[in-house]
Amino acid sequence: MGIGSGRAHRLYHDLALVAVGIFVATPLLVTFLGGFKDQGELRANPFGLPSTLNLSNFAQILSQPDIWVYVGNSLVVAGMTVALTLIIGAMAAFAFAQIRFFGSRMLLNYVLLGMMFPFATAILPLFVRLRDFGLLNSYAGLVLPQVAFGLGFSILLMRSFFKQLPSELWEAAQIDGCSYAGFFWKVTLPLSTPILATVGVFVLVQSWNNFLLPLVVLNDESLYTWPIGIMQFQGEYNTEWSLILAFVTLTLIPAVIFFAFAQKYIVEGLTGGAVKG
Amino acid sequence: MTMLEASRSGRAPTRRPGLRARLMKSDRFVTAVVFLVPALTLFTLFVMMPIGEAAWYSLFRWNGFGAPTNHVGLKNFQMLMQMDAFHTALKNTGLIIFFSLIVQLPLGLYLALILSQKFRGVVLWRSLFFLPYILAEVATGLIWKFVYDGRHGLAAGITDALGVDPVYVLADQELAVYAVIVVLVWKFFGFHMMLYIAGLQNIPRDVVESAQIDGASWWQIARRIKIPMIAPVIKLSVFFSILGGLQVFDLVWSLTRGGPVNSSHTVVSFLYDFGIMRMRIGFGSAVGVVLFVVCVGFAFSYRRIFMKED
Amino acid sequence: MYKTVSMASLLAGLFAGPGLAETEVRWLHLEGDGPVVEFMEELEAGFEAKNPGVDVKMQFLGPEAFKARLTTMLQSDDRPHLFYTWAGGVMRAQADAGFLKDITADVEGAWKDSFSPGALSAYEYNGAYYGVPQEINQVGFWYNRRLFDEAGVDPESIKTWDDLLAAVARFKEAGITPIATGGADKWPLHFYWTHLAGRIGGKEAFDAALAGEGDGFAAAPFVAAGERFVELVTLEPFQDGFLAAGHSDAAGVFGDGQAAMQLQGSWNRFSQVSNSANGKGLPEDELAWMPFPMVEGGAGNATDTLGGINGWLVGAGAPQEAVDFLRFITSPENQREAAARGLHVPPMKGMSDVIEDPFSKQFAEKLAASTYHQIFWDQDLGPSVGRVVNDVSTELAAGSTTPEQAAQTIQDAWSFENM
Repeated sequence: MGIGSGRAHRLYHDLALVAVGIFVATPLLVTFLGGFKDQGELRANPFGLPSTLNLSNFAQILSQPDIWVYVGNSLVVAGMTVALTLIIGAMAAFAFAQIRFFGSRMLLNYVLLGMMFPFATAILPLFVRLRDFGLLNSYAGLVLPQVAFGLGFSILLMRSFFKQLPSELWEAAQIDGCSYAGFFWKVTLPLSTPILATVGVFVLVQSWNNFLLPLVVLNDESLYTWPIGIMQFQGEYNTEWSLILAFVTLTLIPAVIFFAFAQKYIVEGLTGGAVKG
Repeated sequence: MTMLEASRSGRAPTRRPGLRARLMKSDRFVTAVVFLVPALTLFTLFVMMPIGEAAWYSLFRWNGFGAPTNHVGLKNFQMLMQMDAFHTALKNTGLIIFFSLIVQLPLGLYLALILSQKFRGVVLWRSLFFLPYILAEVATGLIWKFVYDGRHGLAAGITDALGVDPVYVLADQELAVYAVIVVLVWKFFGFHMMLYIAGLQNIPRDVVESAQIDGASWWQIARRIKIPMIAPVIKLSVFFSILGGLQVFDLVWSLTRGGPVNSSHTVVSFLYDFGIMRMRIGFGSAVGVVLFVVCVGFAFSYRRIFMKED
Repeated sequence: MYKTVSMASLLAGLFAGPGLAETEVRWLHLEGDGPVVEFMEELEAGFEAKNPGVDVKMQFLGPEAFKARLTTMLQSDDRPHLFYTWAGGVMRAQADAGFLKDITADVEGAWKDSFSPGALSAYEYNGAYYGVPQEINQVGFWYNRRLFDEAGVDPESIKTWDDLLAAVARFKEAGITPIATGGADKWPLHFYWTHLAGRIGGKEAFDAALAGEGDGFAAAPFVAAGERFVELVTLEPFQDGFLAAGHSDAAGVFGDGQAAMQLQGSWNRFSQVSNSANGKGLPEDELAWMPFPMVEGGAGNATDTLGGINGWLVGAGAPQEAVDFLRFITSPENQREAAARGLHVPPMKGMSDVIEDPFSKQFAEKLAASTYHQIFWDQDLGPSVGRVVNDVSTELAAGSTTPEQAAQTIQDAWSFENM
């Protein structure tokens, strides 16, 4: 066993980790620290710790109601998107996984088509359609298309999970005279919380970060989600970087906290569903 | 809710096997319909029909007001193909995919090989590298806009400290797209790394251990055993990264708005700038159709060639 | 069963729009400059005090976001009731689409008589009024007297384009950035090309191009405009990184005293303050303004002006209160106040006595003497072609197109839109 070469590798690995770590962390650190500095200090000392713990940027932002409105809207939209995607997606995935019917394969492929193209290809007709439905400037105008575009991915993950559930369960349930819907509700769903959590997390992140759709759909500032809000803020404060960085930091904090909690599901989702999909 | 009621009536116990089989059959049919209709309706209304409509609108010169009446045939496509800005957008999209394949994925793979081992702090490293992926692209764009800003930003601080002339990366027609690519690598390599880690952890321990006993080096084990064993994951990550590369928008829009002088447009930012901002629904739809054809063509041929097993 | 209930309430929540007060007036603006916004807030409060039950809601979008999003906003039923405009072809396209409210009946009479007829006529289309102007402004070179002194350039000596080129060369020799501009926003650069075209070809050339006579926008005066602009560009007059700078960045550079000139409209007086590092901008005695230079042998008159007749349009479906509020905004008393504060030059009769601010005086005189006031081309040519003008001006400034190609590109876009 080449112990020597192992040590050399260890050194290379450590160097690589540190180098990439610096590459990844620097912009984040500079952003975080920048929020505490004023314009002059930001320029003179971009890397270092702020000379004083200046909280006025944060105070100024948090004292405006805007940021709370933006985050609140994002929460509502993301929450509704997750709930609807899980309900509708799980039902469809169950039908595809458990029920044999004519055209099942074809319909599945039809829905999976949705994974292959971006929002943007259809954004203009989507806009026209939402306008004709009177859904512009409403939560529904964001939620329904987000759910529709997320269905392909969600159904793919959930279907492969449902298929892995032991088939004896269904055979036993059938003998008890259990219907498909009853089985779905009482057996499949309770056993599927891990995959529901994983799909939920991915859909949540997608919705939380969505930019193009709300950009086109929302007019009313009281409905802005935070990615639109942050662009609005930047438009208003242009080059006042310390203020903008403070705003960015504030919007990143919930994402980081959420990530700490949801990490398990993200990793499980990648290990389980996606990889086998 | 109908589905619950349907399930209750369907559960009515009976001793006559014929009837029971018939009930099962009708339950199967009813459930399939009830369970599929919401998903299929939403999907058809908000995904498939808009894409079909894009194909229709692309034949018109139409500003979106009223109904499309000015039929121009393939003129939108003709104009599109003649536009330098569109050629640049195609080229940039190609560059983004190219660099994600030769930089982002190998970097992710290398780090995954290191971080799929167990050692102190491994979770911390993984989290750090994955963190950029969960940040919104708009926020990422602003962060890096500050990093690149030659007058007020980090770049200014660096050039000041070194006492050299300020550098304006985002104002350079040659460099702007590479500046965008750096940010894309920064943001997405962690996602692919996680995919690989997930795959690597599924490799049975004894396979690796027996190779170690045979005296194989770290690099040999990686190249001969680990990488071939996660080939399906790699195929999947290549698939994601190409499809993702075709769709890059938010980041470009918040960093450069496609500038300077349209030099950093991607296909989607081009669509937004020349279709939506100018309210040329017909022309923008033509861009959408081209993108659609590329995406679907790629996805089908890729699945056919590399992912046959599924 | 509770699942059913929660599902129903979820759906109900999903489709519930925002609640709207009956007499809300949505007022969409793009002002980011302190004194102007302050005045607008006073107008809002003043109107609300006089009209209990009316809630004026100011909505703000930065200029770039405003232009990008207005077209989609207008398509929604929640479109703004009053919104900012530069009139011109963009307004005409909005009217054609049915997004504007015909307020001719309200305008007729005393309200109409209070405006200068020329300015108000910019808001008339097919015999109807859809809004009214609030300010008239002009594009020219803002400059920094201190930097001119340092480089030994006499601003009075800049009468022609060649004089300007010579001045730029002097600034370069002195190590001073001659001109600040916001290339990322593109429109600041289109002032160069369009003003040159106006100086070279005059009103006749523009009218001929609009009428599709001869080579249209590919005709000689427009190519010449590109050529003269390229003469400037080759001197590298702009600040480093100007292609990535927006208008506010550029105004910051000028307001910080780091560039000698900036080609901008009247409003830049406030932009250079609000975007400067110290929040104060240039001292009043260093800030000055001069009109765009003449071009030797050009057909344009020295009294031709390029600028905006900016104002407010009324959105279709707006309540009568929105029209009343517009009447309030543009009432002679309120506009006299705006003029007295030097915020802008109202396009109205009988304002000259209250305008004391030297800059406003200068603009008022020039505009009163104007023989041909051309509205910004990027607005006048309509939403689609106007953007092409901005595009090619930026490409000229970046050296990535030729004057012939630039003119031809605009002509192609124009003929495609009007075929």
